[in-house]
Amino acid sequence: MAIMTHWMLKLGQNLLLLAALAVVGGLLCATMVRFAPGYGVDERELDPRLSRASREAIRSENQLGGGLLSYYVIYLSGAVHGNFGTSAFLQRPVGELLRERAPFTVRAVFLGLLTAWIAATALSLATIRFQHWVLDYSATAVTGFLIALPTAVVALLFVYFRAPVFLGIAVITLPKLFRYQHNILAHAHAQPFVLAARARGVGPNRILFRHVIPLARPALVALLGVSSSMAFGASIPLEALSDSPGIGQLAWQAVLNRDLPLITSITLFITVVTVGVNFVADATHERKPA
Amino acid sequence: MTRRSFRVICCSVLGIIFALGLFAGSVTHYPYALQFRELPNAPPSALHWLGTDGLGRDLFTRVVYGTRVSLLLAPAAAMLATIIAAILGGIAGLRGGWLERLILASADLSMSLPLLFVLIALRAFLPLDVSPIVSVVATFVTLGLLGWPSSLRVVCAASRNLRQSDHLLLARANGYSNSQLLFRQVIPTLRPIFLAQFWISIPLFILTEATLSMLGLGVMEPLPSWGNLLRGSEDFSAMSANPWRLSPLFLLLVVVICFQFIFSSSEDLA
Repeated sequence: MAIMTHWMLKLGQNLLLLAALAVVGGLLCATMVRFAPGYGVDERELDPRLSRASREAIRSENQLGGGLLSYYVIYLSGAVHGNFGTSAFLQRPVGELLRERAPFTVRAVFLGLLTAWIAATALSLATIRFQHWVLDYSATAVTGFLIALPTAVVALLFVYFRAPVFLGIAVITLPKLFRYQHNILAHAHAQPFVLAARARGVGPNRILFRHVIPLARPALVALLGVSSSMAFGASIPLEALSDSPGIGQLAWQAVLNRDLPLITSITLFITVVTVGVNFVADATHERKPA
Repeated sequence: MTRRSFRVICCSVLGIIFALGLFAGSVTHYPYALQFRELPNAPPSALHWLGTDGLGRDLFTRVVYGTRVSLLLAPAAAMLATIIAAILGGIAGLRGGWLERLILASADLSMSLPLLFVLIALRAFLPLDVSPIVSVVATFVTLGLLGWPSSLRVVCAASRNLRQSDHLLLARANGYSNSQLLFRQVIPTLRPIFLAQFWISIPLFILTEATLSMLGLGVMEPLPSWGNLLRGSEDFSAMSANPWRLSPLFLLLVVVICFQFIFSSSEDLA
């Protein structure tokens, strides 16, 4: 019962934190929108055929006119009801665009992360298990080379080979993930109890799976949150350069076309998703109360 | 070959490339924007060592000047990020309590968002048609201002450990104020960690600038940088016909790999 109460309290605290971070992130973005150069200028107002009433209507469409806080309150109350405003560039409701694009990016990020995790885990477990310099140097050289490639170059290579976006996300995330995982597992493997277990004749596989991995598990789970942020970052140039209809491409188009309502909503969306994944990762390795 | 000799080799290679960028005006006699209109897409020759680009500009000259932009400004951005991390992380670790929680929460918020996304979102709030110099400064200052959170966590953890150390206790007993503790005790003691964070940030910023410029959101033409020199690389047929156009990518790889070797040594120091 005490454990249940502790978990409920923890869950409540984390959800509150998640909501606060999302609100702060969105408010920061709205502040930047308000002070961005060109704010409040709508080229439709320059059309001489429009009457005074039409121009007034265009101005009133721009909800920031009432001040930053009132805009944000209006924006948030609209967002709660699923109304994120209208994209100035695509002339479509932002909520509709997000609903249309999000599944593509979420699926690509999920598959990319899954592939990267499987490959990085296999590689780091093999290097720790066999402790052979050829394997160690090869893994370091390959991941070092991949880290040294700019994300956009990897994206172009994937366009050239017509490979799916999720594979690109996996290739970009894999080297960083391998390095973190390898360090975490190597640190756990260097603990004195591992040496003691080896001295007692415990087999290397048993040491790895029964002692090293359980010790490294909290850090590995925390890495899941960090890697999701990396994968979202990787999806932007990949989708932009491969012309894939996801959130990354939408963000890039919004920036190039200075579609500020769309940028605010995408920022809010990415804040909620990445902070949410971090929250789930944190919650799964919370320790029980003493 | 030992790690030390690897480090020496990497430092020498970086030194040569840095010198190439720094003395670009002496290495090549062409201005980076000068067009040879009769020679667009020319192959390498005695006059144009790496040939010319689609607008007839000498590619070697542009690569050398691009080296200056990428290699001199990325360390400046890394320095800015490290200074912010050192001050905020030092204060958070030394003071503890609500201030530490507040600073760490802001770092967590920054880290939870993909750096590239935040960069392009921030870039949206600056005018797109800025002069090339302003675009360079805006790109690297933004990188510096956004690149501190991961370094801050490391600095904060180290200064938190230092908070309970004997020599800090002795300094407190001698009447050192908090700012004296920070600038005379904590920062000098944590210098190897700052150095390591500085080295880690440089290749990260070089790569991020390259990606931003390739997406058209970084350094603007006609000023060259390794990133915007690679912008034409989506034209695969032109690239396979003129592979020397990939020379900025080759330089970028060499520099980042060298930094990785140096960083691994600095990490040992820290």
